[in-house]
Amino acid sequence: MTDASIERFDRTTSRWGRATMLAGLVISLAGPLYLMFGEGYWPGWGPVTQAWVAVAVVFGVFWFSEPITYYPMLGSAASYQAFMIGNIANKLLPSALAAQSAIGARHGTKKAEIAAVTAIIGAAVVHLVSLLLLVGLLGTWLASLIPPSVTEVFGYIVPAILGPVLVQAVLSAGQNRTRVIALACGAAGVYLLVALVPSSSAYAMVVCVVLAVALSLLLRDRGGSATTADTAADEKSEASA
Amino acid sequence: MNTPPIVNSPVLWAAALGVFLVIGLQSFIYLRAARRAASAAGMTPGELRTAFRTGALVAVGPSLAVVVVAVSLLTVFGTPAVLVRIGLIGSASFETVAAQSAAQTAGIELGGAGYDDRAFALVFFTMSVAGAAWMVSTLVFTPILSRADRRIRAVNPMVMSIVPGAAMISAFTYLGLTEVNKSAVHLVTFVTGALVMVLLHLAATRWRKAWIREWSVGVAVAAALGAAAVAL
Repeated sequence: MTDASIERFDRTTSRWGRATMLAGLVISLAGPLYLMFGEGYWPGWGPVTQAWVAVAVVFGVFWFSEPITYYPMLGSAASYQAFMIGNIANKLLPSALAAQSAIGARHGTKKAEIAAVTAIIGAAVVHLVSLLLLVGLLGTWLASLIPPSVTEVFGYIVPAILGPVLVQAVLSAGQNRTRVIALACGAAGVYLLVALVPSSSAYAMVVCVVLAVALSLLLRDRGGSATTADTAADEKSEASA
Repeated sequence: MNTPPIVNSPVLWAAALGVFLVIGLQSFIYLRAARRAASAAGMTPGELRTAFRTGALVAVGPSLAVVVVAVSLLTVFGTPAVLVRIGLIGSASFETVAAQSAAQTAGIELGGAGYDDRAFALVFFTMSVAGAAWMVSTLVFTPILSRADRRIRAVNPMVMSIVPGAAMISAFTYLGLTEVNKSAVHLVTFVTGALVMVLLHLAATRWRKAWIREWSVGVAVAAALGAAAVAL
């Protein structure tokens, strides 16, 4: 393994990842700032603060929890992509995971990281082109064309993608103990934590992920017979067959 | 539906296209970096292409879903704001809640009588500033986490082979079960997607066909949406 080119990949992606994200941040604020100060619609600090607080109460926890929760799944380079492109759990993670499985890259390897970055670029191309064409150019025309039934069906995209992706995540895990522990932690989050303390839903996923990671590490199989993703997946498929 | 004329201001269009360009530039730089590092990571050019293609294929379903939602919100927010807020950076659920909260504090309803240029400015400003918080915290936390990650790898490389799997399984289980609890149609959709995925995995293993693995998520999502359409 030539460390120099790997090091260069890390340096390039973190430097340019940060620079492009900062640019995206500034440009995404330029439009609303223009309306406020260029067009003179600034309503004063009162309404602005009031509106911001109303949103922060609901989403404030996610601002901190999501970058931390997704880091172990995405890694550094892909984090800078994911939080600018958006739709992480229902589009980018599934893309990254499917690509890693397709080429048999094991979790935690550099190969898996580069596969994730490349898959997210592929997803970004599809996403940018479909937005520009179908929303930017044809959006107004399509709005009059798409029947409500189609809109209703696409409302189920989140469970539609989470089913296959959960299966894929289970298949590609390295150890059976990880599978059992992580499935149990996720279920406990929904049926114990949120069921008993409904207000915990804002941070319950972080609790699940942290608990699953900690328990999987503490109780990991130290026998040294580290099964590869592929043989483990084969065992699993035989078991379910 | 009342659409304020300012939503199509050329400045907003320019800023929206600017975000597209930035993501395009980032993708270009990352792709070049990935190509250069691939062989050192034990990855062939063919595998790099497979990763790109698989990522693109899986994104088709979710991207179309975003398009459908985005198109339905065009009359409320206008094309440039929808492209940036709903299409990219944010998500439909966060942005609509943010927009509604902002409108409520101004005492108006989105698309309603008092929804004019001034009201849209406040709504768009709130969505953008609140959404920017995700990028700010990513910029702050990622370098810190990256340092911790490197230190852990140096001590015990085995740890990082377990962490991503445990994190993803627990996260997807949590998110999936939350969806399943919403309604019977959600349950049918989720279970169909999972079952088709298992079948495709078995087929890919039995016949040793790589293309099945590439297409499996896309096909499973389509089947799940089909089941949702039938169950509705």
